[in-house]
Amino acid sequence: MDNELIAIVGPSGVGKSTLLRILGGFIKPTEGEVILLGKKVTRPTPKIALIHQSIATFPWLTALENVKLGLKYRNLTKEEEDSIARKMLELVGLQGFEEFYPKQMSGGMRQRVAIARALAADPYVLLMDEPFAHLDELTAEGLRQEIYSTLFSQDTSLKAAVLVSHNMNEVVELSDRVFVLNGGPATVVGEVTIEMERPRSPRDQKFQEYLDLLYKLLTPVKKKVKEG
Amino acid sequence: MGATTGRVFFTILLSVLSGWLLGYVALKNRTFENIYISLSEVLESVPVITFFPVVLIFFVTDIGGTIGSQLAVIFLVFTAVVWNIWMGIYQAFKTVPENLREVSENLRLGFWGKMTKLYIPFSVPRIAANLIPSFADAMFYITVSEVFSVGNSTYSVFGIGSLIYDLTTAGEYTYAFYSLGVLAAVVVVLTLLLREFAQYSVQRYGLDTEASSNAVRRGRFRIRYSSRLSNAVSPVTKLARYAIRSRAQEAEIEEEREKSHHLKTLGQIIAFVFLIGISYSVFTVISSVPDQTWGYLLSTTPYDLILVGADYLRVGIIAVISLVIALFLGYWLSLHVKTERAIVPIIQTLAAFPAPAYFPLLFAFTYPAVERAFGSFTDEFYVLLLGFISTFYYVFYSYWLGVKNMPHEYWEVMDNLNLSFWQRMSKIVIPSTFPYIVSGLTSTINSAWGGLAIGEYWPDIYDGKTLEVHTGLMKYLALADAQGNLAVVGWLSLIFSIIVVIYSVLFTRKLMDLAREKYVAEEGIYAA
Repeated sequence: MDNELIAIVGPSGVGKSTLLRILGGFIKPTEGEVILLGKKVTRPTPKIALIHQSIATFPWLTALENVKLGLKYRNLTKEEEDSIARKMLELVGLQGFEEFYPKQMSGGMRQRVAIARALAADPYVLLMDEPFAHLDELTAEGLRQEIYSTLFSQDTSLKAAVLVSHNMNEVVELSDRVFVLNGGPATVVGEVTIEMERPRSPRDQKFQEYLDLLYKLLTPVKKKVKEG
Repeated sequence: MGATTGRVFFTILLSVLSGWLLGYVALKNRTFENIYISLSEVLESVPVITFFPVVLIFFVTDIGGTIGSQLAVIFLVFTAVVWNIWMGIYQAFKTVPENLREVSENLRLGFWGKMTKLYIPFSVPRIAANLIPSFADAMFYITVSEVFSVGNSTYSVFGIGSLIYDLTTAGEYTYAFYSLGVLAAVVVVLTLLLREFAQYSVQRYGLDTEASSNAVRRGRFRIRYSSRLSNAVSPVTKLARYAIRSRAQEAEIEEEREKSHHLKTLGQIIAFVFLIGISYSVFTVISSVPDQTWGYLLSTTPYDLILVGADYLRVGIIAVISLVIALFLGYWLSLHVKTERAIVPIIQTLAAFPAPAYFPLLFAFTYPAVERAFGSFTDEFYVLLLGFISTFYYVFYSYWLGVKNMPHEYWEVMDNLNLSFWQRMSKIVIPSTFPYIVSGLTSTINSAWGGLAIGEYWPDIYDGKTLEVHTGLMKYLALADAQGNLAVVGWLSLIFSIIVVIYSVLFTRKLMDLAREKYVAEEGIYAA
């Protein structure tokens, strides 16, 4: 389905980040395969962009130069690079900050730079590994409110986004579908489709019901007693 | 062999002990700290070989006898290794985590308690990280300095360097080979032990929050490594964090910056004075020379500057070649983990294996082929080769540590964005490793001078052949030394040391400041 935001949730150590990296081709799966638009994914590709939990920008490059890195593989002219990079910074709300270095920016702004860099690469899928975990709550909330419309605006090529998160409020607020991983070895113990209008409010009764459902699925799995 | 390694470890031990003491004093006294740091930083970036002729004159003529020769050797090795170790200890002391320091205050630990329970253990990994290059450096200089000549007399102290020299000059090549074999075995064993020690010390004394060395930097730097992540980080990556230094002074509050700037300048002035001070014996020589000699010395100065220029050119060529090979090899190795595991210890061992000991034999075996290929440039080639093999390691090792220490997020971003090899190198790998490259390159340049000092004029290197270049400061110095022309030796050393200090203050230090300000890969990772 187009423009879908999928969340993966599960207890610590269950393998959420590993799954995300398998989806991106960063880790080879021991079993199974990843298919993107009919083609097998065997190594990292700009078509599947990863956003890190610990926000990764390059301190020796300005915001604009950081974003341009995402365009390098396309071999564009300097002018084209420049104009796309500027457009992406504008999309994430950083116009006017093109010449700033990451050091001069807050954590929230740096993560926007990282998102703009990923979007500049023209990806079909965006992988987000707890993208708001290192931001203070106010900044995170601000970014959350914008992210959905930013990602799926008509200026991006994005078809889907996958979010790994520990924060259930965040998950219910943002996702279209949630996969719950649990147990060891981990399996998908639940798939929840969130059918609520956006913007979603935590005060909404339905919001709370989804939260309850997710927490229920996340309770520790009792070990099965061997039969026979 | 025992005598040689004994000397090496004695000087290293001396450096560590004095480093602990001076480091503690620096913590307590701000004025001392600023002078100590500026002094060490300047002297660290000055090649040891600058002191060489001056020190020889002082120890051999003013002290004399066996003690004089012994002290000269130890002093030379000491100056080769001490700055690095001192600075490492100081950095460790400065970056002891605030909470541990508070605990030690809380428990009212005295000097002895604080040192043994906190500061010394905390400095161990950093010392261990510095030991491998220091050991290599010390071995190099000790084999060089075990045999030296002033005027018509050759002085030597007993050790593997003088033994191999004696055997080679006597044409006893078989025995020379045996001695080299012994040297090789000892170097291999010691290097492996030092590697083990470095890894052990990181596991045993390293803190989980190893970003502590970076935590003192200004700006929004956050501790990046949770304990879980840190345990997963390989020892070599952890080690890398000890090998590079942040600038601890930057923790100072802004108002103090002005004051410390003055003190820093004062420190640099004192460093300058210190250099002139150790040239004391030069001055005694110079003051005793007649006016006409003075006139002669001054009139030759323009030519002396050409000599310095020629040697800077050689050093530049060696440094560029070393850097280029290091950049490719280091990056390639970090992608090929299995090869890396085999190659890096080999390179480390080769580096600790002093080039001057085996170079005559290498020369003997390759000379015919090299002469056919290079013709009249043969000697020049050998000099550059000697410079290269005695220095390549420093920039390679430092850069390799830098590559290993690159945040793993950067690797993922590079892969994700499908950057080409050149894009990776120019946009990410070289900037990320820039501080490592600068510090490695500084050591490389310093040791290159050492290589030139031996190679530019090497009488009877093999079978009556003399290795010598056409024009070069080091050759000129060696010749003047051999002729007992102490006035010229003193004068050349003085000019050389002034140029080197100016170069280090104006260029090396600037480059290091730039590296610490702008090219800090860890600052690119924002994690609360």
